[in-house]
Amino acid sequence: MCTAKKCGIRFQPPAIILIYENEVKGKNRQRIMPVRNFSKFSDCTRAAEQLKNNPRHKSYLEEVSPKQLEKLFTLLQGHLCGQSLAATMEQIQRETAIDPEEDMNKLDDKELAKRKSIMDELFEKNQKKKDDPDFVYDIEVEFAQDELQSCGWDTESADEF
Amino acid sequence: MAEDRSKPSELDQEKYDADDSVKIICLGDSAVGKSKLMERFLMDGFQPQQLSTYALTLYKHTATVDGKTILVDFWDTAGQERFQSMHASYYHKAHACIMVFDVQRKVTYKNLSTWYAELREFRPEIPCIVVANKIDADLQVTQKSFNFARKFSLPLYFVSAADGTNVVKLFNDAIRLAVSYKQNSQDFMDEVLEELENFKLEQKEEDEPDQAHSGRIKSLSLA
Repeated sequence: MCTAKKCGIRFQPPAIILIYENEVKGKNRQRIMPVRNFSKFSDCTRAAEQLKNNPRHKSYLEEVSPKQLEKLFTLLQGHLCGQSLAATMEQIQRETAIDPEEDMNKLDDKELAKRKSIMDELFEKNQKKKDDPDFVYDIEVEFAQDELQSCGWDTESADEF
Repeated sequence: MAEDRSKPSELDQEKYDADDSVKIICLGDSAVGKSKLMERFLMDGFQPQQLSTYALTLYKHTATVDGKTILVDFWDTAGQERFQSMHASYYHKAHACIMVFDVQRKVTYKNLSTWYAELREFRPEIPCIVVANKIDADLQVTQKSFNFARKFSLPLYFVSAADGTNVVKLFNDAIRLAVSYKQNSQDFMDEVLEELENFKLEQKEEDEPDQAHSGRIKSLSLA
């Protein structure tokens, strides 16, 4: 019914703003969805879910991912806390990136689940599902191993790794 | 023996002595994709069995190797890796090991040496495959050398649980290795070693009744 183009946030008064194209092709429209009952203590994940399921906005937000909405709410929350936009962006970056050096064996259930959900995004993006038309169960790929470069994770001496 | 009494029937490992039954264990850090690899291989043909008291997930599979039907139990860690080391019974009677790291995370590669040392402590001879998972995230890694596998002369597989690259091959090869290990006489040495170990533990139990639950038996009784 409508194609989402861009989705952003307005701080004052707080609103999620969607630029979309409806049936009449080539004509962009703007939808302003006011954010109510949201404070610096609110849960951004829940706020995103609630907006996405709001009967008035639901059909417009179909193509907007919950993750993007959550990020917008996090930006708003940073603003409510008096944090600079750059600082909030950095915080989001930190929370949605995987630190390759982090030993995840040492995390508790909640933190581990968070990391897994970040990594699941790439997994799902690259996943070939059973129902996909080009799905093949047994895929064997041989990688030529003649001009290998060091992975950079081994120590210098040849015996050590 | 205390060891046998403490085991519930659902985890009876005697069955792994039968000719048509093998046990394959998965090792590796949290979130390297062990369960996702299992699920990609087995698809949705069955339900994994959660044994929460043991922090263990069991996947049952039936394979055909050289015309013979083989019952395969895959043991997956279910988060047990976070206790830094696995329960001794996890290794008990295993016929092959699949050891996984995440090509995106150096620390999971570095920790292979710890997993490997523990594996060899319990199972000095079983075949072990090193698995570089998540190659879909960065195909370049397939053109890189990983000394860990070379150092211990272990086969290295580049796989992706997401797009399926080499997953089925990995598991089928692991099953073959497990079966051929089992048919090999090396199993006899393992049994002798185990008998000796049990003998030592029994002796200890008699000598110092208060401290009988040390070492392997202690960790078993924690379950």
